[in-house]
Amino acid sequence: MDWIQKRNRKSLLTIGLLALLIIISLLVSLHTGVIKIGPLDVVRTMLGVGTDRQELVLFDFRLPRLVIAILVGAGLAVSGAILQGVSQNGLADPGILGINAGAGFAVVLYIYFSQGLNSSLGTLSIFILPFMAMIGATTAAFLIYVLAWKKGVTPIRLILVGIGVNAAFGAVLIIFQLKMNPRDFMQATIWLSGSIWGTNWKYVLATLPWIVLLIPFAIYKARFLNILNLGDRMATGLGTKVEWERRVLLLVAVGLAGASVAVAGSIAFLGLVAPHLARRLVGPKHEMLIPASALIGSLLLLIADMIGRNLLAPSEIPVGIVVSALGAPYFIYLLMRTN
Amino acid sequence: MSSISTKELKIGYGDVTVVDDLNLHLPKGKVTTIIGPNGCGKSTVLQTMSRLIQPKKGSVYLDGKAIHKASTKEIAKKMAVLPQTPDAPTGLTVYELVSYGRFPHQRGFGRLTEEDRDIVEWALEVTAVQEFADRSIDALSGGQRQKVWIAMALAQETELLLLDEPTTYLDLAHQLEVLQLLDRLNREENRTIAMVLHDLNHAARFADFMVAIKDGQVVKEGDVERVMTEDVLKEVFQIDAQLARDPRTGRPALLTYDLLSNSREKTEVLV
Repeated sequence: MDWIQKRNRKSLLTIGLLALLIIISLLVSLHTGVIKIGPLDVVRTMLGVGTDRQELVLFDFRLPRLVIAILVGAGLAVSGAILQGVSQNGLADPGILGINAGAGFAVVLYIYFSQGLNSSLGTLSIFILPFMAMIGATTAAFLIYVLAWKKGVTPIRLILVGIGVNAAFGAVLIIFQLKMNPRDFMQATIWLSGSIWGTNWKYVLATLPWIVLLIPFAIYKARFLNILNLGDRMATGLGTKVEWERRVLLLVAVGLAGASVAVAGSIAFLGLVAPHLARRLVGPKHEMLIPASALIGSLLLLIADMIGRNLLAPSEIPVGIVVSALGAPYFIYLLMRTN
Repeated sequence: MSSISTKELKIGYGDVTVVDDLNLHLPKGKVTTIIGPNGCGKSTVLQTMSRLIQPKKGSVYLDGKAIHKASTKEIAKKMAVLPQTPDAPTGLTVYELVSYGRFPHQRGFGRLTEEDRDIVEWALEVTAVQEFADRSIDALSGGQRQKVWIAMALAQETELLLLDEPTTYLDLAHQLEVLQLLDRLNREENRTIAMVLHDLNHAARFADFMVAIKDGQVVKEGDVERVMTEDVLKEVFQIDAQLARDPRTGRPALLTYDLLSNSREKTEVLV
């Protein structure tokens, strides 16, 4: 039938357009900042004929953080898309459900006990970070699964349990933070609210393999997500091992959230908003929804980073706060619509 | 010859036993209807037969093989299940939903093959929903939506079809339309169909084989004439029924009834 091909072509076109927008934001982002580097100089430096100073700013400061923004944005968005799919719950998001808080908690504990927050992390530690974050994220997800899922999940119940888990991790974290010295306390607070300052290529390398492996795997699992979206009974009837597939997909979502939080702190609402926008653009089939969510997540985080860097320049607003300021009203709007 | 059967089935939730020691044989190539009062366990039995519920004891056998031991994907190639009032995600089109019926036959990334597309289009055509193919499910009426779900079950290409109250929430014309569709599938495609029905006259009209269940026990099973009797209805539904013969179909039909507690003399009702 023609219209199916038309719909697929439209979705692919949307995805291509999003990729183009990301490249444009990337270039714009590279040339804005406290040290102005003109668009022409950006291109020249990228080609390897810029000044040393331009090279330093672009390659060592700006580019790694933009790459992190792209990776983390995609990771959190796909994590949210999967969570929304397996829970049949449009309000699911790794930030709201406390999965990010669990990851953040584990990371702060690890950094604090291994060397204190001020000293910069050694290479090995940076690569251990995602594992720590995933342990924390899995713990949070396990709590949610045991407390909410087993007794049959209603959307509101899942969200309430998630908010509870989130609050619990937050509370324990505050107790812990109170024992820190003021400098560490500030550092931890800024990091937890989601920031991508001071990232370097090591952070990129620490998170890249996870994102690059898990997102294609999520796309491969798209048809299972489609079927799980029809409800447990229908999914069983169609021959899915519902419980198994759900756990695998949950682990993928948790892994993506953990890898993202490990390098960028807890950024809430991105995993909520990106899949919603993607659904409007390409429909509910996950083959298209997951790539579109990933791209929208990257794009939103790039834009939020640009706003955070330039709004109050030379001081920066953590990108997580910019995302929350934009995402929270949308969450409330969705929450009001469910009743 | 039985297509699906149960042996010493015990089903329950927590400590409550809903069904105990149930032995059922649904004949191959026939339409079976299951009737019974609310909470009698008929839906539970159907769900257990469709492996949506794990039994506490006993087994369900599909073509002689225990269902809870077989791979769920292999079963999905032999048996399609339509639960009560399923839900489709918003924005999904009719064609997309029906194509999900191909799921158990797919591998890898699950791209639809030429054969898959032919089957989906056939399913859309048989159920007369092809004109809605590019429409979103949530834009359809209840009756159309139910036909779309049946189309999805058909796309699964199974010889056995289990349906839990497929006519709930439909108006009179749509109820009959759905049942006639299933009847036609049974006769023309030789599909075995088993369904829980609420409406006794529909159950009697479309059944080759009928099962009456009360308190998790089979009160009577067999052909319509054996099950659709005043005695059976009295025992199963606690009603004083008056049956008549449907002049159009020749099947027994419930003409009127009273509660057992305030039953009247039959002669009073007869005109």
